[in-house]
Amino acid sequence: MLHDSKSRDDLDILKNKINDISAFFEKTLFSTDKRPLVGWFCTYTPEELIVAGGFIPVRIFGRKKIIKSESYFPINFCPYIKSSWESLLSGADNLKAVIFTNSCDGMRRFFDTANKYLKDTPSYLLDVPHLRGVDSIDFFANNLNNMKRFIENLNGKKISNKEIKNAIILINKKRKLLKKYSQISTKLPELISISSYFKVMELSMISAPEIFTDDLERYIKFIREADTENMTNLQPNYENTPGIMIIGNFITEEKLWGMLSTMNLKLASDDLCISSRYFEKQIELGDDSDFLNLTAERYLNKPQCMRMADLGLKLKEIENNIIKNNIEGVIFISLKFCDTMLYSFPLLKQKLNDLGIPALYLEIEYNNFSEGQLKTRVQAFLEML
Amino acid sequence: MGIKDKLKTGVQRNLNQKYIRRLLDIIAKKPVLFAYGSTFSSLSDKYLNIFTIKSLRNAYTDNNHPVGYGSLFLPYEMFHALGITPFLPEVMAGFTAGLGLATQTLKEASSNWYSQDLCTFHRSASGAVELDVFPKPDFVITTNLACDAAQKSFYIHSVKYNIEKNFYLIDVPYEYSKESILYLTGQIKNICMDISSKSGIKLATSKFKEVISLSNEFRKWAIKVNNLRKTLTNYPPYYNGLNFILPFHGLAGTREAVILYNQMYKELKKYLDKEEKEKSGKNKSLKRILWLHLKPYYKNEIFNILERENCRVVFEEINYIYWPELDPERPFESLAKKMLSHFLAGRIDNRINVILKAARDYKIDGAILFSHWGCRQSNGGARIIKDSLNKLNIPTLVLDGDCVDQNNSSQGQVKTRLQGFVEILNS
Ligand code: SF4
Ligand code: SF4
Repeated sequence: MLHDSKSRDDLDILKNKINDISAFFEKTLFSTDKRPLVGWFCTYTPEELIVAGGFIPVRIFGRKKIIKSESYFPINFCPYIKSSWESLLSGADNLKAVIFTNSCDGMRRFFDTANKYLKDTPSYLLDVPHLRGVDSIDFFANNLNNMKRFIENLNGKKISNKEIKNAIILINKKRKLLKKYSQISTKLPELISISSYFKVMELSMISAPEIFTDDLERYIKFIREADTENMTNLQPNYENTPGIMIIGNFITEEKLWGMLSTMNLKLASDDLCISSRYFEKQIELGDDSDFLNLTAERYLNKPQCMRMADLGLKLKEIENNIIKNNIEGVIFISLKFCDTMLYSFPLLKQKLNDLGIPALYLEIEYNNFSEGQLKTRVQAFLEML
Repeated sequence: MGIKDKLKTGVQRNLNQKYIRRLLDIIAKKPVLFAYGSTFSSLSDKYLNIFTIKSLRNAYTDNNHPVGYGSLFLPYEMFHALGITPFLPEVMAGFTAGLGLATQTLKEASSNWYSQDLCTFHRSASGAVELDVFPKPDFVITTNLACDAAQKSFYIHSVKYNIEKNFYLIDVPYEYSKESILYLTGQIKNICMDISSKSGIKLATSKFKEVISLSNEFRKWAIKVNNLRKTLTNYPPYYNGLNFILPFHGLAGTREAVILYNQMYKELKKYLDKEEKEKSGKNKSLKRILWLHLKPYYKNEIFNILERENCRVVFEEINYIYWPELDPERPFESLAKKMLSHFLAGRIDNRINVILKAARDYKIDGAILFSHWGCRQSNGGARIIKDSLNKLNIPTLVLDGDCVDQNNSSQGQVKTRLQGFVEILNS
């Protein structure tokens, strides 16, 4: 069966089709939705409130080359921040407002910079606690209320409880579909490339959520149907490939994903702020109608970012995923100069040593990817496994 | 070889806890400590060093009190009220630089996967922890004020000593508000209660009140010192306002801090009186400098160069009294307000306000922001600070360097940049 050439051809055709993301997400990409955009950076920002206010939440990816930004920040400063600043300065994203969080020292200074030098675009900083107890949830809910007021002031319209609830239902649906898609991708590494997987993740954060969820639903349905035709048993290249987990921060380098897609790397789990840390955990809607509190609860209890206080809990989350997904190797990728990530590595490395899991440590620039050396290192790592 | 050099070479050769403990035991004995104190040319330096030795000896050798690692911007009044001996790894990292140990500690940190892009105060302290040079803590307390580094590196220390359960983060909210005060007060109170029940040391209200009153007393003298400095130009030899980090923070709430700042006041007052009598302060061409952030703690030429160029650091932002008088009746809330009032919490505007106020109060001609490698919170605001001072026509030098790692700073470059800056000041 595996060497049946007809099946292989069919598989190739199917593979090309599934990885043609622009075809499946045409409506998303060419959206006619004219609602104004509100930018955000960090996965602790509840998009729900932005949607409830009548805006489209758009994560700022900062794809701009860093030029002017250099004169605002030091050399050894988060390249994601610098390149996002470049894009805010250029006005390219056409944003009605920008929501920052106090995720890290860099972000706090980024907010100050935007506040001082970008006078025409209102900006807001959402204070996210580092702790997760009941008091922190209450405190965070109060901050969400302040953020809500900021959004209301943007268009002079009050946000109703019903609007928040509808937005929660919508974003919950998006998260649920993304999780499903992530599970399918893990199961079908030959069919869904790493590039496609992360492309879909990116689209989920920069598009009108209603249109995107429709497209994603159809896309998943298509893959599922292909699966029932049993095409997916054909994964010869990945049969004995060890499962890899990628742990990182804001890693959105298309060329990196492209490179990994060509390397027979089986991505069996990820812990990144552009994937699992974004879509895991729903807002539990029950009888409680204190939606801000429920939202606060979800955001503080979602899979943690390294910025949170309890690094031990983060390590536990990673360990659970390693065991659950039979991970045999970890690739740790950090953007340069990201303190919270860099400080997590000494303990993570210890933990991985205890578990007997080899790790590859990579630090990268942003929008400035050079494949050469990196490819050799990843190759050597995979061979070692 | 003088007593200070002997100490230095002794520790360099025997970098281990046993040796340090023995050394501290010897030096902390009264006559020796007195002799050691008298080697310092100013009274304030003398008290600073005596109290530092005492505090270190307690941390290393006193088994009757628990030891608490604390990050710099904590309200140490809570330590003293709880009877915990504070040990400040970041300050100690400065000592590793001064004692010529940083190469060893930083190397150790690197081999434990601490990236070279991280702040060396934390890297060097982490290296020392890994080398087992620091005393073993019973509690580890940290805060997100003023940066991300402490909360992360301190957690790693708690793992190293297997006391994650005794790790506490005081999470200072971003804005000063009613809700923030409440949230923070609750945290401080809970932590104190938890530590008290774990250590078995009762948190007595009377003790807390006493500590808070001492803290107010220290604050009063520190303000007087700062006020004197508004007009003072001639300082005791080797006086450097950036040397008093430990007492300013770690000893707040102790009698020692009161004595030290009282002595400092008296000493500086004498200089001021003399200056006024002899009109020697009227050095017209003297350039008055405001120092931002910290300084290198290894031997360096920065302040000598400034002195030679007729420039004097007349104030350091780190010595600014940012908090209101504490209320002994409401200790937890007072400490919460103290933390929330810090100019490095929240928006950069809080820091800018302090800088601009200092610029006016101390009539400064220029500011130097020491851009310590890897300090995102400070350096990330350099452009805004520079632009804000520029509006007052005050030139600012952003001086790249490293407070702890001598090898990450080029003395030649520092000199050239300082001289260039002095030219601007004189033009
Ligand atoms: S990547 Fe790291 S440094 Fe950059 S914004 Fe995110 S948390 Fe901050
Ligand atoms: S120098 Fe900066 S990064 Fe280092 S501990 Fe101090 S505030 Fe934090």
